[in-house]
Amino acid sequence: MTGPRTTFHVGDGVVARVAAEAAAGVPGVVALRTDLAGTLLGLAGAVLGTTRAPVVAARVDGTQAEVSIDVVTRLGFNCRDLARAVQREVSAAVAQYTGLETLVRVTVVDVLLDGAAPQRAASTQSPQVPPPGAR
Amino acid sequence: MAVSPHDGRGRVAQDDAGAHLPAQGDVVEPLACGRDAATVWDHAEAGTLDAHERECPHCGAAVADARGLEAMVSRLAAQPLVPPPTVVDRVVGAVLAELRPRDLLVLDSPYGPAALDATAAAAVLRGVVDAMDGMRARSCRISRPAGDAGRPVPPAEVSMTVTARFGIELASATARVRQMVLAAGEQALGVPVTRVDIEVVDVFDLPQPSSPAGREGR
Repeated sequence: MTGPRTTFHVGDGVVARVAAEAAAGVPGVVALRTDLAGTLLGLAGAVLGTTRAPVVAARVDGTQAEVSIDVVTRLGFNCRDLARAVQREVSAAVAQYTGLETLVRVTVVDVLLDGAAPQRAASTQSPQVPPPGAR
Repeated sequence: MAVSPHDGRGRVAQDDAGAHLPAQGDVVEPLACGRDAATVWDHAEAGTLDAHERECPHCGAAVADARGLEAMVSRLAAQPLVPPPTVVDRVVGAVLAELRPRDLLVLDSPYGPAALDATAAAAVLRGVVDAMDGMRARSCRISRPAGDAGRPVPPAEVSMTVTARFGIELASATARVRQMVLAAGEQALGVPVTRVDIEVVDVFDLPQPSSPAGREGR
């Protein structure tokens, strides 16, 4: 050993924040959802002007990181492809930022139906529930 | 003769006191350059920074402090003290998500575990069936049995109840719903569906009240 030994540890919060940024940037991700405690913290942060509350659960263990992300999407984006894209983007971002190998657990918790009409899934012309008198 | 030096001393003493007392009371610790931070803040507020205060790093830091606080205070002051409009939605959604036992459908992904909320998936299928002409979805359930480790997860099964407009041929209607569910499962959800159970529980838009009110179809 020629120099002082230096250890380098990346905190959970760093991974969580990087993961949240990367996931939010994936097209089709409307929102990231968190649990009740996270929601309340996020609201408090929004009122107080801080952005402290993580919306992503992350755990660093040695050189491995594990990230759990709950995303909300919109009808018109394939949930499976979206989940894959989030996993790809997040693990690439975390690896680039921290050098950690990341297991990304994605759960699509909600699909918003209003707004975007179904692109290919529904081939009919009527928008939603047809009115009772419609033919 | 004896009065004026006394007066002079008295005045001098008063001046000394006037110069020192505020200095001891207000300024606990001057900046490293000897300036009074409060004065620098006042100057920054009034926009009357002198040459030293603009150049000196210590004074510059104090000015930045003043600006930062000003920005923060004015922002907070400008904020109305009402919660954002979505606050109720967000809390209620979080509470419901916490309470509801969550059924998840496995999404096939080579990158790691991925899942889709079964309730959301069922809502999507209901939505696409609702969008069909002459059909309305009533309830929908989708489930995907968990696969064994190392084996591909078996496809999902859907069971839904629908109502049809009176006069629609039910055999073709259910075939359309079936096709729609299969296509939506693949294209919108990314979940392969092998089995669709469709139950037509009611018809709507009856021409007259004496018509049959329900039929079973498959």
